[in-house]
Amino acid sequence: MADEILKIKDLVIQYVSDGEVTEAVNGIDLELKEGQTLGLVGETGAGKTTTALSVLNLVPKPQGRVVSGEVFLDGENVLEKSEREMEAIRGNKVSMIFQDPMSSLNPVMTVGEQIAEVVRIHDNVDEKTAMARAREMLETVGIPGERAGEYPHQFSGGMKQRVLIAIALACSPKLLLADEPTTALDVTIQAQVLELMRGLKKKFNMAMVMITHDFGIVAEVCDEVSVMYAGRIVEHGNLQDIFDNKRHPYTEGLFNSLPDINNRKSSLKPIKGLMPDPTNLPSGCPFHPRCDYVCEKCSKEMPPKTWINDTHYVRCWLYENTTESRLTEGE
Amino acid sequence: MYKYVIKRLLALIPVILGVIFIIYLILYLTPGDAVTTILGVNYTEEAAERVREELGLNQPFLVQFGTYVLNLCRLDFGNSYITGLPVIEQIAARFPATFILVFVSMALCTILSLPVGVQSAVKPNSFFSNFTSALSMIGIALPTFWLGLMLILWFSVGLGWLPSTGSLSVKGLILPSITLCASFMAGTMRTTRSSMLEALNQDYIRTAKAKGVAHKDVINKHALKNALLPVITVIGMNVGSQLGGSVLTETVFAFPGLGRLLMDGINTRDTPTVLGALVVMALCIGLCNLLVDIIFAFVDPRIKSQYSKGR
Repeated sequence: MADEILKIKDLVIQYVSDGEVTEAVNGIDLELKEGQTLGLVGETGAGKTTTALSVLNLVPKPQGRVVSGEVFLDGENVLEKSEREMEAIRGNKVSMIFQDPMSSLNPVMTVGEQIAEVVRIHDNVDEKTAMARAREMLETVGIPGERAGEYPHQFSGGMKQRVLIAIALACSPKLLLADEPTTALDVTIQAQVLELMRGLKKKFNMAMVMITHDFGIVAEVCDEVSVMYAGRIVEHGNLQDIFDNKRHPYTEGLFNSLPDINNRKSSLKPIKGLMPDPTNLPSGCPFHPRCDYVCEKCSKEMPPKTWINDTHYVRCWLYENTTESRLTEGE
Repeated sequence: MYKYVIKRLLALIPVILGVIFIIYLILYLTPGDAVTTILGVNYTEEAAERVREELGLNQPFLVQFGTYVLNLCRLDFGNSYITGLPVIEQIAARFPATFILVFVSMALCTILSLPVGVQSAVKPNSFFSNFTSALSMIGIALPTFWLGLMLILWFSVGLGWLPSTGSLSVKGLILPSITLCASFMAGTMRTTRSSMLEALNQDYIRTAKAKGVAHKDVINKHALKNALLPVITVIGMNVGSQLGGSVLTETVFAFPGLGRLLMDGINTRDTPTVLGALVVMALCIGLCNLLVDIIFAFVDPRIKSQYSKGR
């Protein structure tokens, strides 16, 4: 248990606006061991970011509320902590990198100040030491330390993302939540930033949750993958399970909508239909209206977890009667 | 930066010239004659001719205007028709009072409306927020002269706490500055509120929270500084309008300031005084706007770097 840095149990988060209830996260379970990287994959609106925010206890209030569930960070339930206790945890034990580096830095503070701020808050050091650390962190992410006195508008997008990484890592967190850190960047810069993150992850020995919709990134940096659809994890496993033995029709659909480098003439097979309206999710398995293998049961009941092997489970009625599932359930 | 300030100061010259031209033209076209103002109703044609000659009123309009502007360059605003004293002296005597009144009411307005605006943005649906919004609507709706009179009625006539006429003393400044401030508070407060609401929704606020920055620092350090630009604009514009608004307030409170000088000048058709007062007000507004732009540069580094590019 001790080496589990993050454990999410049956988490349900809803957004309420104008009386309409949106089920952003609908009973998910996650576990992450120290030093491991988990990929959280899914389309826009699947609840990935909301899940990550719940770890910081920063689900936007008052629209968003955690209905039920527990989020254990290093053995402590963050959802039960006071705001003050959370302030001591955020940026210290766990930090987060956001999707859009362009707007995620405060435009009226120098980048040095913004990095130094997090050091000062958590490490109880004076201004000067914090600034020195800030410069050091900038060097670590590949930006000359002299540039600490400059403002965000003087940096390019890729550099801003590096600054955000520096902020996130300044206090050597045990867990890093990376919310599509490369989505807003050019492809060439993406590779640099990913390489940097991978190197730093090893250096600081952190666990990481990598939120993305790009299986390429998953293949490069992750150890385990959870595929999310409409607030639920529909398939989970290690890289081999997901890339070579994918079971869920949705996971298959995601892979089919990637271009095939070996067969450039083949046309893409996008998943038919659109993400369901989150305020009005389909009954049963939320994927059933778009699924090629839909059966009668799918629209009635949400399928339970079916374990394919020790690390790999899928939530789909197709595998209800497989021997493997009986075996694991019998255990 | 200095280059920019000097450029802006130079750009102020044609603006002021334009303003003077318009004011001069309007006063020129206004019915009424300097001669009647100076000599009274019973005058001989000879005396009238002499006065016109003396003041250059028999010259063509453009020559008159040109002479006025040239004299202005020597800080000669002409002499009052009524008192015969130089206008510049009258303005110099009255200006400090108005300056202090506007400054006090602006300070009062800022001190009150900034925290209220911030607080109502932090809790946008609270009772406090709705209450202050309603209050600010009332503040906008109340006419300055009415509020002034009511305050006099309550605090001077009724309770006898404060003098009914304004003067350059702590007690004498209270009622006039409250009156002047009331109508401008609403705008400042609402601007603060809406620009804070916007700032609080930005991604960098989420970053700050994720860093573990304490709630009050998120608001006062991260959000407020970003939200300040529109607020400074509004305050700067208020100072300009307050110079104008002070005319009403100063009249109600018989306050010895520039506004009342202007008002008296209008009532007695004392053209040089009216012109002089208006020119000084226009100059103040122009300088205020420049000041606002300079403050911008210190609040927002993006604007500063634009200035130093030295276009």
